[in-house]
Amino acid sequence: MADDADRFTGMYDECRQRVWAYVVSRAGRQVADEVVSETFAIAWRRLDDVPEPALPWLLGVARNILRDNVRAEARREALAAELRAWTEGDVADQVTERIGVLRALAALPEDDREILVLVAWHGLSPKEVAQVIGCSSAAYRVRLHRARKRLKQAMDDIEGQAPVYVRDRGQAARPPLPHVRNYTEELS
Amino acid sequence: MNPIDELRAARPAHLGDRPVDERTRAAELSYAMSRPRQAQRRRRKVVRPVWRLGLAGAAAAVTAVVLVMAGNGAAPTPRAPDGGGLVATTPGGTRSTANPEGTAAPRVTLSARDVLLAAAAKADRQTERTGDYWHTASVSRSLFTVAKGGYDMVQESRHEMWTPSATGGEQWSRSQSLGARPASEEDRKAWEAAGSPEKVEVAEPGKRGSLALETETAPGKMRTSRSPLVDGDKVFWLGRNVTMKDLRGLPSDPDDLKKWLLRSYEGHDTESSSPMASDVWLFKVSAGLITDMPVTPRVRGAAFRMLAELDTVKVVENLTDAEGRQGTAVSIEERVKGGAVLENRLIFDESTGRALANEYVVVKPGGLQAGFEPGEVFISTAVLEAGWTDDKP
Repeated sequence: MADDADRFTGMYDECRQRVWAYVVSRAGRQVADEVVSETFAIAWRRLDDVPEPALPWLLGVARNILRDNVRAEARREALAAELRAWTEGDVADQVTERIGVLRALAALPEDDREILVLVAWHGLSPKEVAQVIGCSSAAYRVRLHRARKRLKQAMDDIEGQAPVYVRDRGQAARPPLPHVRNYTEELS
Repeated sequence: MNPIDELRAARPAHLGDRPVDERTRAAELSYAMSRPRQAQRRRRKVVRPVWRLGLAGAAAAVTAVVLVMAGNGAAPTPRAPDGGGLVATTPGGTRSTANPEGTAAPRVTLSARDVLLAAAAKADRQTERTGDYWHTASVSRSLFTVAKGGYDMVQESRHEMWTPSATGGEQWSRSQSLGARPASEEDRKAWEAAGSPEKVEVAEPGKRGSLALETETAPGKMRTSRSPLVDGDKVFWLGRNVTMKDLRGLPSDPDDLKKWLLRSYEGHDTESSSPMASDVWLFKVSAGLITDMPVTPRVRGAAFRMLAELDTVKVVENLTDAEGRQGTAVSIEERVKGGAVLENRLIFDESTGRALANEYVVVKPGGLQAGFEPGEVFISTAVLEAGWTDDKP
């Protein structure tokens, strides 16, 4: 029991922020803490099933929670708000490029965005990404290739536009707080 | 530049690896770890008779406490075998309620030790016949605050369990939510003012945002299930999983019983890694011996004697449990995360030494119990029945 607690705490300290970052990049920070909290609650419940390294497994759990509990529309809107937040107040120096990339990212289908972010921001190996998104390594390579092409295309499209920074939509309605079921209870 | 590299360079700074802030860390770790592990849970489903508070179990909130209750389960008994009824034992005492609207009970001067030793003597004299199944029935209640409106509701559920006396058998359980109702007249008015919603969202103190836990006023479906005994022979949890043979063979000497139980004590809570004093641990674990486990009358007596020797327990007379039955309680205080002080009490019938209910009372609000008043019972499990039978559902 004490060993389990140590292992769990260690795993939490090592992975928590990375799980959080993943959720933020998928659905914005409004839901991130809740999803992260549920993810680790599940990890504790199923500690015996958690492999080493734990991160891909944890991301997979977080991904399922998002999929099952946060509507795609809500995810999209929350992420749009998140992207605005990233690029606002940041309109100096090299932002032009940076914002261009982020805008391009935001324009992609969710599946493309997910795979690109897992690779570029979360430092997962191809095998680990495949594990998180639940596909074979071969399917992963195909999907990454296509996602990368579409990102390049979107970046090129955006480059032709001005101004470069993300248009402020004004005080648009904040994305509704998605309904997150108590996931661990569900499993019991 | 490769688009992936550009993307990497564009990663927002706040998605970097800054450490999580301490408060969030503490909250998330305790939220996760206050829950039972799955392996244990599975075991517990069979092994720990339950009490599943549906709702409160869910509320990140009360979890720790709720699960403790799950451990010790409900308490028993209906028919007093030696002819004693469920009558008040202290005539003229002020009736103090132990339901959620309840107030703090009057403390008595009779020493806790004497009361418990008397109860032990009664427990010793209980008669029993064994049967094919140990059957328990209980009603659990939990108090919670509604997210919108701030009024309190009580959620009730009924649980029954049949545990086979033979190894290799199946344990049966049956449970039903009896629905939620406003906790008091005042709460009823607030509930009605809110349009008498049939579904309400539960507030979770100390937790940002809402997980939108809901509860309904209407009773739920009755569910009956069965499962094989863990390892083929484990029936209950008593600090560790035990077989029917273990239970029937527990030491009837209080010191030996204490030693036997404490072998499973590792310095922390029964449900988490939070530190827990041995007296509190012992109280919680042994509650099941008094309330709902098929131990021999002499072992039940030994459990009372063991509690009588703990300096930290108190006795309160003239309590009424959530079913309206009057009894005496042995209780222990526990300081929990967030600064709250809670009292866990076992209400029993002094005339028979049989348990009526296991309850949690707020002594000092705080943390997850911040919204409750001192003296409020926020979790109770009343035992309706605990005894042997030859029938299963």
